[in-house]
Amino acid sequence: MRWLDELLRRIWYLIRRDRFAAELDEEMRLHVELREARLRQQGHDPTAARYVARRRFGNKSSLQERSRDAWGLNWIDNGVADLRFAIRRLRNRPGFAIATILVAALGIGATTAVFSAIDAAMLRGLPFPRSSELVTLTDVSVPFDPGAQGFPSGRHFTDISDVAAMREVFSSVAAFAAGGLNLTDPIRPRRVRVGVVTAGFFATLGVRAQLGRVFNDAEAHPGGASSVILSDATWRRTFGGRDVVGSSIDLSGTRYTIVGVMGPGFDFPNESELWIPLTVPTTFATFAPFRGFLPSRVIARVAPGMSVAAASARLLDTWRRLAGPPDHSGRSNLEEMIDEARATGAAVPLQRNLVGQNERALVILMGATALLLLIACANVANLLLSDAASRRREVALREVLGATRGRIARQLLAESVLLAFAGAAFGIALAPAVLHVLRAMMPADLAGVAPAKLDLRVLIFATGLALVTGLAFGLWPAVGTARADAGETIKSGGSGGATASGLGMTRRVLITVELALTVMLLVASGLMLRSLDRVLSQPLGMDPEHVGTLEMSFRPESKRAEKIAKLHAILARLEGDPGIHSAGIVNDIPLRGGGGISLSIEVDGAPKPKSVDEMQFARNLNTSGGYFDAMGIPLLRGRTFTASDDSLAPQVAVINMAMAKRFWPGTDAIGRTFGFAGSPGSVTVVGIVADVRERSLERDVQPQMYFPIDRNTPDNVAIVARSGLPPGTLLARLTDAVHSVDRSQAVYNVRMMEDVISTSVTPRRTNTTLIAIFGALALLLSAFGVYAVVSFSVTRRTREFGIRAALGASGRNIAVLVGGEMMWIVGLGLALGLAGAWALSRVMTSLLYGVGIHDAATFVAVPLALIVPAAVATLVPTWRAVRVDPTEIMRAE
Amino acid sequence: MAIRDEIPPGTLEMLILKTLASQRELHGFEIADAIERRSGDVLHVEEGSLYPALQRMLIKGWLVGEWGRTAENRRARYYKLTPAGRKQLDAELSSYRRVSVAIDRILKPA
Repeated sequence: MRWLDELLRRIWYLIRRDRFAAELDEEMRLHVELREARLRQQGHDPTAARYVARRRFGNKSSLQERSRDAWGLNWIDNGVADLRFAIRRLRNRPGFAIATILVAALGIGATTAVFSAIDAAMLRGLPFPRSSELVTLTDVSVPFDPGAQGFPSGRHFTDISDVAAMREVFSSVAAFAAGGLNLTDPIRPRRVRVGVVTAGFFATLGVRAQLGRVFNDAEAHPGGASSVILSDATWRRTFGGRDVVGSSIDLSGTRYTIVGVMGPGFDFPNESELWIPLTVPTTFATFAPFRGFLPSRVIARVAPGMSVAAASARLLDTWRRLAGPPDHSGRSNLEEMIDEARATGAAVPLQRNLVGQNERALVILMGATALLLLIACANVANLLLSDAASRRREVALREVLGATRGRIARQLLAESVLLAFAGAAFGIALAPAVLHVLRAMMPADLAGVAPAKLDLRVLIFATGLALVTGLAFGLWPAVGTARADAGETIKSGGSGGATASGLGMTRRVLITVELALTVMLLVASGLMLRSLDRVLSQPLGMDPEHVGTLEMSFRPESKRAEKIAKLHAILARLEGDPGIHSAGIVNDIPLRGGGGISLSIEVDGAPKPKSVDEMQFARNLNTSGGYFDAMGIPLLRGRTFTASDDSLAPQVAVINMAMAKRFWPGTDAIGRTFGFAGSPGSVTVVGIVADVRERSLERDVQPQMYFPIDRNTPDNVAIVARSGLPPGTLLARLTDAVHSVDRSQAVYNVRMMEDVISTSVTPRRTNTTLIAIFGALALLLSAFGVYAVVSFSVTRRTREFGIRAALGASGRNIAVLVGGEMMWIVGLGLALGLAGAWALSRVMTSLLYGVGIHDAATFVAVPLALIVPAAVATLVPTWRAVRVDPTEIMRAE
Repeated sequence: MAIRDEIPPGTLEMLILKTLASQRELHGFEIADAIERRSGDVLHVEEGSLYPALQRMLIKGWLVGEWGRTAENRRARYYKLTPAGRKQLDAELSSYRRVSVAIDRILKPA
């Protein structure tokens, strides 16, 4: 415990240090006086005695300092003094301080925001107990029971009951899907996000109900009671936090009994507002309210002590065992599936699975931010170097007066760390704004589960970053200044010592690196901007301007005639509105994201497909005749639907150009016929329309076929109307039209078509915007850096310029001298940056669309974008310097 | 002025401990005086450097200091060895002896 006693003594000293200092002083004084008395006794005269006594004692203040050192407190006092000194110095140079702080704030703010996004998506575990045990299982199905309809059952693939049997590998397994239903609220019907989950879902995640219970096996079995569990937020918002367990609600026309309420914050998957059971086996009824199909995912918890890799391997074994020997056709589908799973893993950590493709974008963004931070650091280092150079004389003077070099270096460091922390404070204030923009890039599945936020972890990161940045940009100037020879500096008399060489080597290297990094960011921005431009300039095949849309879902048990009657009534109402030019109905709005079905078709007269690979598919769309006009889809040949194309007439279809070209190349498709695989009857093509971008702007258009909505009326439809009315008015009239026909009908996704399209490209736009902003900031910082370096250098060389001018050099000669030097630096930075970008742009491949990683236009445009600001930043200060009258300079010396 | 030898670094603390071990309580000046006298004026203490050393030893807990009065009725801090200090002295002495015997052996004419 001796160290503890020692610590207590040190603390005691810290508290009473004034008394201790006084005592030490008294002791020392006594010593000197006693020595003086002794010397006098030995016969020295009083003056000599005093002098000798003092000399023998040594330098009292330095000894007192050494004593304080012994107590280990000097560094505190010194630190405080250094900080005070730094603040005082910075206050004297507000311009420098503000510039540095802003540059640091930029770098730290951007990095902090991006870090918090990455932290939420990839680093922080999911907010479930022992979340690292949670995995997503690929190619594991939920058993399906076709019931009386006798759906042909295929080969047996591994399903969740097989996984549940592997008790030693997976401790529990569950499946879930995410969809939407209409909540018939007494006051306002609305659309709610629903998690469709198996009974084991909550137990697998390790969450419990705060009220009531989770689903039991009976409820999760076909024919079980219809039960629902509420999220905490829904319970509070819609039900006012009352005791609701046991009461019932209406979801898309079915009564559900509330059995429980989950704890606060739990809304997995996809920000669910409530959960209903996913029955095992699933039946046609399970997904009937959800357009007949929802993709489900299977998750499991790996048994304690089992690694994800080992679990994945065991799952592969099960696949193989259940599939039996490969069939006669050689490599079976399963073999290919296993090969694929071996590469990615049959069991993938849940978090990685949820982040999915966003991982690459986030990592690239982090890289871009790191580059920006480096550029900011280089810039600040340059500012500090220039500053340190102009302080050489002051530093030398202090050194001569007795300050140690270590102390001087510490003082300079205190200043840069102070600047970095001030920058960090501003940067953190800036971060939420950046984060707000970043949210669009976060994976939707994670949005509610692990929101990106500025928490303690992120603050610690930002503080650490500030410290590292402060040291990084302050250390070099500090060491350099402290090492300079004091005598030489003072002798040379100049405020800056050796200046003849113009730019110092360090500054040259820094500015070159800065320019090179900027070029890399600019190339990345250029490639992203070109990709976005390519995406946005894709022909849409429709005219989204002035088009309003809304979506609605009929109750599953609605009769077809009833649905048709309602749709016609809505259309009639809209068409009767003089403000609306045209209106139509479609089962699936283009680019709404997700949804849509492809059907296998067979062209009459063409050979029958021999295997799955030879089957031909086309997108199945159901529309009213007015839809094409309302959506602005050009009719290229033939006609659209008319009232006579009802269920009694021969079946007709309008197809898109891609379908016409694929199935009837080189001939006229109008009047040709096709049928559906495995069902009788044929369809006649009556019209050809333009190719509409449907699934994504970045995907090629597939064959599309449109059928009259009166023949095949889905439960989920969208109303589309074209009008010159302001968007707000148009959307209100759309909603009114629906409600005038059926007051209780819930509508959702009421929005302009342009918003639908804009939303569909939001992740790419956000990505591009951020990287482009970073590129622009980097360019700004670099131009600023060049400006600072050149103006520093020319101010230093005013005297030299004066002599040159006196000897007959023109202003132009001098400008060429300075510009020439800068030209080399810019050229070198450019060459290094382009080389780096050329080598590194491969990592961006997956983010690009329609441009090569070595896109010529980008690699040509970037040097131009850099050279112009660099030239301006060089010439402005130079010109200012050479305009000064030489005689004035000589006189000033 | 007579040429006097500097104290080898690190030995000052040992000398202070030894001085206080033989004379129960001394103040700063007396310690300096005693060291110089006992070394036959060979070792010259830059007198002031005694004080940082004394402070260090106070922290380590080898000494305690108590304020008292000198013969001339002046306030002075008297230093006293603690048990920890005595242990430290033994440790330093034995290690010093080992080293000095070794050095002696090397220096002794063969």
